[in-house]
Amino acid sequence: MNNTITETGELKRSGSFIRMMIVYFVVCLIGMAVMIVSINGLMKEHDKKLTGQICDLVAEKMNNSIKYMTTSAQNMSAMLTAQQHSDLQALYDEFADLEGDGYVSMGLIDGNGKVYASELQLAEFKKWELLDTARQANPVSISTPYRSGLTGEPVITLFTVMEYDSGRKGWLFLTYPLKEIQNMASTETLADETEIWLMDTESNNVIQCSGGDKHGSGSWANATLIFERNIDNRDIGKYSEWMKSMVNGERSAGVVYRIGDISYSQVYANIDFMHGWNVVVRIPNSAMSSAMEKFRGIVILYILTLLCATAVMFLLTHRRDVADREILKNLSIHDPLTHVMNRRALDVAAHNYFQNALKAECTVLFIDVDYFKQVNDRYGHDAGDKVLIEFAALLKELFGDMGLISRYGGDEFLVFIKSADRLKIESKVSDLKRRVHDIKPITRKEGDDYSVSCSCGGAFCPHDARDFVKLKACADRALYKVKERGRDGYGWYDGKISKSEK
Amino acid sequence: MKKFISAVICTAMLFCLAGCEQKKSETVTEFEPAPEFSPLTEIKEGRKNIYLIIKNLNSDYWDVVVDGAKAGGEDFDCNVYYSGCNNESDWESQSRLMEEAAEAGADAVLLSPNDSVKLSADIEKVYSKGIKLVLVDTIAITDSYDVCFMTDNLMAGQLASAEMLDQLHEKGYTDNETVQVGVQVCATATQTINERLAGFLQYWSNHAPDNWTVISDIKFNEGDVDRGCECTRDLLNNYPDIKGVFGSDNVSTTSLAATIKEKERTDIVVVGFDHSPEISELIYSEDYTASSVLQKQFDMSYEGVRAALELIDGKEVEQKFVDTGIIVVNSKNLNDPEVRETLDHNRG
Repeated sequence: MNNTITETGELKRSGSFIRMMIVYFVVCLIGMAVMIVSINGLMKEHDKKLTGQICDLVAEKMNNSIKYMTTSAQNMSAMLTAQQHSDLQALYDEFADLEGDGYVSMGLIDGNGKVYASELQLAEFKKWELLDTARQANPVSISTPYRSGLTGEPVITLFTVMEYDSGRKGWLFLTYPLKEIQNMASTETLADETEIWLMDTESNNVIQCSGGDKHGSGSWANATLIFERNIDNRDIGKYSEWMKSMVNGERSAGVVYRIGDISYSQVYANIDFMHGWNVVVRIPNSAMSSAMEKFRGIVILYILTLLCATAVMFLLTHRRDVADREILKNLSIHDPLTHVMNRRALDVAAHNYFQNALKAECTVLFIDVDYFKQVNDRYGHDAGDKVLIEFAALLKELFGDMGLISRYGGDEFLVFIKSADRLKIESKVSDLKRRVHDIKPITRKEGDDYSVSCSCGGAFCPHDARDFVKLKACADRALYKVKERGRDGYGWYDGKISKSEK
Repeated sequence: MKKFISAVICTAMLFCLAGCEQKKSETVTEFEPAPEFSPLTEIKEGRKNIYLIIKNLNSDYWDVVVDGAKAGGEDFDCNVYYSGCNNESDWESQSRLMEEAAEAGADAVLLSPNDSVKLSADIEKVYSKGIKLVLVDTIAITDSYDVCFMTDNLMAGQLASAEMLDQLHEKGYTDNETVQVGVQVCATATQTINERLAGFLQYWSNHAPDNWTVISDIKFNEGDVDRGCECTRDLLNNYPDIKGVFGSDNVSTTSLAATIKEKERTDIVVVGFDHSPEISELIYSEDYTASSVLQKQFDMSYEGVRAALELIDGKEVEQKFVDTGIIVVNSKNLNDPEVRETLDHNRG
């Protein structure tokens, strides 16, 4: 805090507005930060719950898609059973060229394991030992995914038990592209964030059905490498529990874990008729936040805009306020003619000085323009005003850098100097006495060599008095004596009472 | 006032920075550009022009693919040109080469895509011009190709797993003994490797005795033999019951074979992929038990040229994907004619 005496006698409070504004902004920003943290916390909690539920729904939908396929196959085999066919070759020849609804190929197997299918399909039966899968059908079984020679895409083959030739057991099979299940199960909502795999419990192998990268569909991976190895150490236990429940054959379970900065919800659900295989769905919890994040961004932007607008408004108001105060201050403390301080302002400033100074050391000078009434009478009031203005300007020039100057009465000025250096002040007063003669009234008649003079009386604190009122009285008495001596001079209070005072 | 404005701006910037997630800049790798097409066969007027684009010009494996295309061109009477990249990550050069082949008036393009996803658009563009497109070794994620000749890697992985089980049994390990098998791969994001690994694990989980397990600490060597040797030493040191090691690719197999030889671990069965002097040395040695799955890359391009010519002639192919098969080489079948033929193609 810079404590200096001013014309108003107030202590300058530099930086108070800036500090106030910084505090205001810090409070606002802390408030905003707390709000954002709270919103983030709520969003995380909400996302975790919701993504878990969505994972469940997607897994169910995937399972329903597979169920839809198996039900279609079962319906077809029921129909064929009802038709009581005896010759499977003839039956196969009948529908071999039919265009299927989503499936790649269709065929039959008789009780002896003879497969009625295209040559290509026969080769695949041998290659992938599909007959073993067919024999597991009860009433349906599904093969492990493999790449179809016909399409080059990953496919699965569904087997369903049928009867022919008066009760003999056979099988109908349908081969579907893996992406057919994906197409049935896919949703536009969260499509980019939802990853869906089929997972084999025994080997930990997974095959992707859907994910952020549409070209990743049908690609193989291993759960150990893509999930387990990357999971945050703190969540490994939870993940192991989740895996254990899958190995134990529980229907479904969910887990939440972190990989790096991302938190995921992941669920599995058993696939009926596909022994050991599960649908696994994973969604990053942040997926749910994207809409909320936009909203949060808008709120933050709105608050920041509001803060900036407030700052600009405060600044403009502050500047206008400062300008207004400057005008008022000038009007209240200055003499409108001479632009030096008025009496009241100087009294306030001097009193404040005495109140705040621990050890007051100052000088008061009373200065009168000699015979000022004559100036007014001889040269008019304009000339008188000119004399006062120029006299005040001379005072400011001489004492402006060391004290306060005020017009104390009509032609009476008071100089309050925060120093009691008598030699220095006397030198200034001598200058004043010399240079005041240069001031001339405005309308001077020819041959008229009228020049202005002044009388000055001064008193020192603490030498002559210790408060302002007494100091003024001492200076006044010193002035009185100078006037008695004939004016155009200066003198210092000496403690003696003059004859006329007596 | 300046202080105040600075404070406001700094705070706002801090908030903006806090709210911004810095995106990782994608690094663009510069590769030595692929050379222009060179004739692989004698070029004669009036013959069909087939352009072969391979993944890597600096590899023994891909030299065999080139040999196959050359033999196909000579046997089926067509002009074959070829080019390829200097790095298997350089798919941009392949995109340029496809365009050049189309402009040069190719009747068919044989392509081994360096990126099954990123090259899909270029493949579709060439295919839409009526140029026959045959994929070799690697499939692309698009329907816009005529046929693909490659190894069924899922099946190859299963056969490798079956070979491991056979060799372990042969070596005398019983079902009740604790047997651990270590696995090493060169990359975890490559579809070929993932399929082989999936096949291996799938077969193992269905057929291996309960006490025989695959170590879940699957080693990843980043395509570097030195790193692969380090990974192998790790496996040997940390798993005392390790009795078998499986490498899903050439680098992993080379690393495994070299380290097993260095440590003189004759008790461990090595099963890997592709041909290399290191695995070959173990196969030929009487002390070690090693096998390698050899792909038929010669057949991929040879049959690819044949299929391309048939397609140009208007014939339709029945299959979109042809598994060219594999051969498992071990000390017992070294002299089988089919094995010999494949080894000859591999200059082994």
